[in-house]
Amino acid sequence: MPVVIALLITASLLVFVAYPLLAGEEASAHLSTLPVDVTPQVDLKNRRLVLYENMRDLEFEYQAGKIAQEDYEALREEYTAHAARLMAASQGLLRTSPEDALIEQEVARRRNRRRQATTDYVCPKCGYENPLPVKFCGECGQKLKSRS
Amino acid sequence: MNQLGSIGLIAGFAFALYGSVAGAVGGKLRSLRVTRSAERAVLAFTVMITVAVAALEYLILTDDFHGAYVASHSNRDLPLYYKIPVLWAGQEGSLLFWTWLLSLYSALVVWLNRKKNRQLMPYVVAVLMGTGVFFSLVTLLAANPFSELSLANGAAFRPPDGNGLNPALQYPSMVIHPPMLYLGYVGMVVPYAFAMAALLTRQLGDHWIRATRRWTIVPWMFLGFGICLGGHWAYDVLGWGGYWAWDPVENASLLPWLAGTAFLHSVLVQEKRGMLKVWNIALVMTTFFLSIFGTFLTRSGIVSSVHAFAQSSIGPYFAIFLAIIVFFSLTLLFLRLDALKSENRLDSVISRESGFLFNNWVLMAAVFAVLWGTVFPIISKAVENQTVTVGASFYNKTTVPMGLLLLFLTGAGPLLAWRKTSFQSLKRNFAVPLAAAGVVGITLFFAGIRNLYAWMSLFLSAFVATCVLSEFYRGARTRQKFCRESFIWALYNLTMRNTRRYGGYIVHLGLVLLFVGFSGLAFKSEGKALMQEGDLLRVKNYLLRCESLTSGDTPNYTYLRASLSVLKDGRALGTVEPERRFYKASQQPITHVALRSSLAEDLYTVLAGQDPESGKAVIQVFVNPLVAWVWLGGIVMLLGTLLVLVPSRVDREMDLLQAQPQAAEETQWL
Repeated sequence: MPVVIALLITASLLVFVAYPLLAGEEASAHLSTLPVDVTPQVDLKNRRLVLYENMRDLEFEYQAGKIAQEDYEALREEYTAHAARLMAASQGLLRTSPEDALIEQEVARRRNRRRQATTDYVCPKCGYENPLPVKFCGECGQKLKSRS
Repeated sequence: MNQLGSIGLIAGFAFALYGSVAGAVGGKLRSLRVTRSAERAVLAFTVMITVAVAALEYLILTDDFHGAYVASHSNRDLPLYYKIPVLWAGQEGSLLFWTWLLSLYSALVVWLNRKKNRQLMPYVVAVLMGTGVFFSLVTLLAANPFSELSLANGAAFRPPDGNGLNPALQYPSMVIHPPMLYLGYVGMVVPYAFAMAALLTRQLGDHWIRATRRWTIVPWMFLGFGICLGGHWAYDVLGWGGYWAWDPVENASLLPWLAGTAFLHSVLVQEKRGMLKVWNIALVMTTFFLSIFGTFLTRSGIVSSVHAFAQSSIGPYFAIFLAIIVFFSLTLLFLRLDALKSENRLDSVISRESGFLFNNWVLMAAVFAVLWGTVFPIISKAVENQTVTVGASFYNKTTVPMGLLLLFLTGAGPLLAWRKTSFQSLKRNFAVPLAAAGVVGITLFFAGIRNLYAWMSLFLSAFVATCVLSEFYRGARTRQKFCRESFIWALYNLTMRNTRRYGGYIVHLGLVLLFVGFSGLAFKSEGKALMQEGDLLRVKNYLLRCESLTSGDTPNYTYLRASLSVLKDGRALGTVEPERRFYKASQQPITHVALRSSLAEDLYTVLAGQDPESGKAVIQVFVNPLVAWVWLGGIVMLLGTLLVLVPSRVDREMDLLQAQPQAAEETQWL
């Protein structure tokens, strides 16, 4: 009897373990990849929090009379400079959030295409620089070579 | 039931094997589904090992002596509260117990990280279950607690009664001492697993350190508490009048504790300053290695010890596992060296950072000295084919100066500021503690204390105690000034705002108490006499008179008891009754020490035996000064560590930040 129970437990645990692998695509589509633990933003914020805590400590120890004036001033200056660097880095990251980066990329791509267009659609007959991708010259009606 | 236990073990092994492979695959493919499955395998492993443990406990409690394990470690008349610990009384059972604790830790890690540390978790699972594979395999192949007794012709054999539990283990603190130690040993696998996962995923910031902070402190606390309990047991039971003998098995538990202590301190430097990254990984590896090595020493019988476990076949398995750990860890560390660059440099030699670094060096030197002394017999046997044991004098020569240096750093470290400390700040912070210690030192000298080590230990204890207390006092005064709180309230808020720091200080105070206790060792006195009714024995300022010698019988043991009345400086202090018991099932004698304990000194009496000719009792008496301070120190350290575990405001802010849901969403883009 105990053996049967043990085998039953083992079998049900097998199902339990295999379940995530066997579950339908739909149910687990949004779970397919592991999320990142620490994004660059969170990491910078963490470091900033640590630094603020260090500064609070410094302030407290100075007030408690543990640190001489000159040490305190030198350290505070260094900490402040470090905090400023971290904040700048954080803001730099914010400006280029992933969505912004995608939009910027798309804009750059299109701008680039337009710039190309102005150089590519020059009429071989009259020399007019057509502004858009066109099949005929806007000035003299000359058929232009189609380009892709 | 033996079959049930075996199925539990085999299935547990299979789930662990699957879990470790699936964890590694899940991490490599970054697949959440495979990772989920691996995590579920951890839970399945836990269930199956629990089944095996429950089966063994059932066999023990129902006196089923079919099984070799139960027959050799239990007997019918053993009281219930000593039957439960039979589980970890022998080799096979304790390996199963180790595996079970590992499974519980692993399940807890999986559960508490089900929404956090998702990148690290697959590899964490792989390492945890890799360890699980090893321990369940050794239990299955080399030390199976479910193997059955059989006669030469193969027929099953069931003895009428078992051999009984080792009488030395039939003692209350012995019931919880092994689980505490094991919780310490086993728990060190968790920070190791996170460190390895951090290396594998290249997430080498202080994220893994933050994630494992509590996972390191908890096993460290258990280990320390277990060591104290072991000392207390040795003192109360073994009857040689001391609590620490530099026995290999004692050393085995001290080694990971020392390395863990170094790690706990050096992570602070990484958290605050982004330094010592390689060192921290190396320390966590060392701690884990020493934990397994400790289990190996305790369990393999490779070095002889008072714990006297039989020579056994598990040695080679452990040697291979230890080699794998070293190879795997070092290779990985080497491959990631480029990503472990320090963010800052040491600004000054006189700074908190260098204090921590120095503390680490001393601790590692102590690890090395103790390790050397412990394995020297093995090395000498291999090289010269004769076993040379290392006596207490070697350890005392090496570790006492190191201990005193550490004690000094315990006080001095927190007085140094991070980054750099000027001479002016030094003067300001050291004046009061040095003055206080000076007063104590001079007083001790004139009180006649001439033993250098004892004097230094007490001098430094005064120094450290003043340092710690002045930290609390100055902190509370400052808070009082700025927050307009009462002194007590300010003290409370100060502590709760940064439980790690102030809890740590309380641990340091506990250490001071320990060292005060250790200093007492220099002033031990002892006496020994054959005694019968009416005989007198004088030791130091105590006079003992034997009032009676009685013998008796209980189902579990027979005993001889001496009743001694005690006079101290002519004043009556009542009676003490040391006992010598003879356990029937195991046919072993054991002494039961009688103690009169006070903060100043212990009167420790042992009935060491009986003279066969005269029938007189051999009475041994020790006067041990300051021993109670050791136990007090252990308790204070435990309480301090518990305080460290209480989340402080700063911790909560960080946790909140990490739990932010948008962080997880943003990741889809990155």
